[in-house]
Amino acid sequence: MAHCGGGGLPSRRPGAQLQQETAVESLCQSLMLDDVMLHDGRYRAICGAFGGYLQEWPDMSSACYAGGFGATPVQEVSNGGNSFSCSGGGSTKRKSDAYLDAKGECKRPRGKQQVCELDQSSGRGKPEKAKPAGTRKKGDVAAQKQDPRAAGGQKTDYIHVRARRGQATDSHSLAERVRRERISERMRYLQELVPGCDKVTGKAGMLDEIINYVQSLQKQVEFLSMKIAASNPVVNFDIVEDLFGGRRLGQACSPAAATMPMPIHGQMDTSCLQMQQMHQPAAAGFGLEMVVNNQYTPAQSRPLPAATPPPVSAGASVESCLDVNGAAAWDIGSQNLFSGFDAQFQQVQSELLFLSSKACRLLFFFFRN
Amino acid sequence: MSSRSRSSRGAISEEEINELISKLQSLLPNARRRGSSQASTTKLLKETCSYIKSLHREVDDLSDRLSDLMSTMDHNSPGAEIIRSILRS
Repeated sequence: MAHCGGGGLPSRRPGAQLQQETAVESLCQSLMLDDVMLHDGRYRAICGAFGGYLQEWPDMSSACYAGGFGATPVQEVSNGGNSFSCSGGGSTKRKSDAYLDAKGECKRPRGKQQVCELDQSSGRGKPEKAKPAGTRKKGDVAAQKQDPRAAGGQKTDYIHVRARRGQATDSHSLAERVRRERISERMRYLQELVPGCDKVTGKAGMLDEIINYVQSLQKQVEFLSMKIAASNPVVNFDIVEDLFGGRRLGQACSPAAATMPMPIHGQMDTSCLQMQQMHQPAAAGFGLEMVVNNQYTPAQSRPLPAATPPPVSAGASVESCLDVNGAAAWDIGSQNLFSGFDAQFQQVQSELLFLSSKACRLLFFFFRN
Repeated sequence: MSSRSRSSRGAISEEEINELISKLQSLLPNARRRGSSQASTTKLLKETCSYIKSLHREVDDLSDRLSDLMSTMDHNSPGAEIIRSILRS
């Protein structure tokens, strides 16, 4: 029977871990390039070549541009593992327009693209974590301004992606940048969580993938819940089946509670809600809830003397009355129900919640047969 | 390669992303009580992370329970047929 639900069981993707590294790298790339692009409009052209990596959040770029940078953004990319040297000697430095005249130098980060691609292909780099907001202070901006770091000097196992901002003089820019980094970080986490998310480029594609994944997970949970709700009474069917088999062998009048295995009770405790769900449609479908509840009570309280042999229904269910005592009790119960509700049974009914639901399932089982 | 094409492409993706963000937001369990979408992109993403994790846990838990149930079932009982039909439906 185990194979029955096998198709619906979720399988965790084994390749997810493998993909994470490249996912992180690509996002690192995205983060870095985002910074470049957003900070300096002149490099949008370069960024345009990078395609999907550079899709920024809608309100970011406008906010950044509105901030007005009088800054000297220094981009430093050090690639220790490969000793790869790009045009800036491993480091790229960029100046915003305001400083171009004064410095007379403007190095375009040509090497950046190469560095990123090389690192990605090497597959062992790990991006530096997004820096917390506190590390970006205005004080160190001046220090870093004239400090193109030599990438060759740092030999590490992972790339340092340091997109040090120049003076984001207003707090708005700083806040915006922190916000962007947070978003990028979250996107990175999401990329780790969502399989196949690293194959798509751009935040739009990633979001699409995330949405699909969340939807599929929701469906999966729903499906599994349904299955469990459906298979809980199934298991109990088997037990009830066993009970009935035993009863047919002559243990008819034994109290039902005594023959119920204890683990089943525990299971019913934990899955009370699902049982209720199953209980309802079954009872509603057959309109025999009271009958079900009354079924075992004579057997338990008194030894079932077939108290008042029903004159009318005896003809209807003679066969079941004859061979199984439980069936006889059933008929008596229905007789009591139909002749007017009995307060005694109502009381017993409240006492025997588990029994009643089990009996309901039994009834369901027999109707299905 | 030109900044013009880049910006036009960016505009398209802005709309897309806005749409996607709101769509993602509607998927989250506490989507209703959330007011402005754009200001809380970070929170939204964070909640998405935790939501996905919780969904993972839920799926694991449910599949464990289901497989337990399946393994304890009797294969040849006549009830098993019924159960199969129930599960198929």
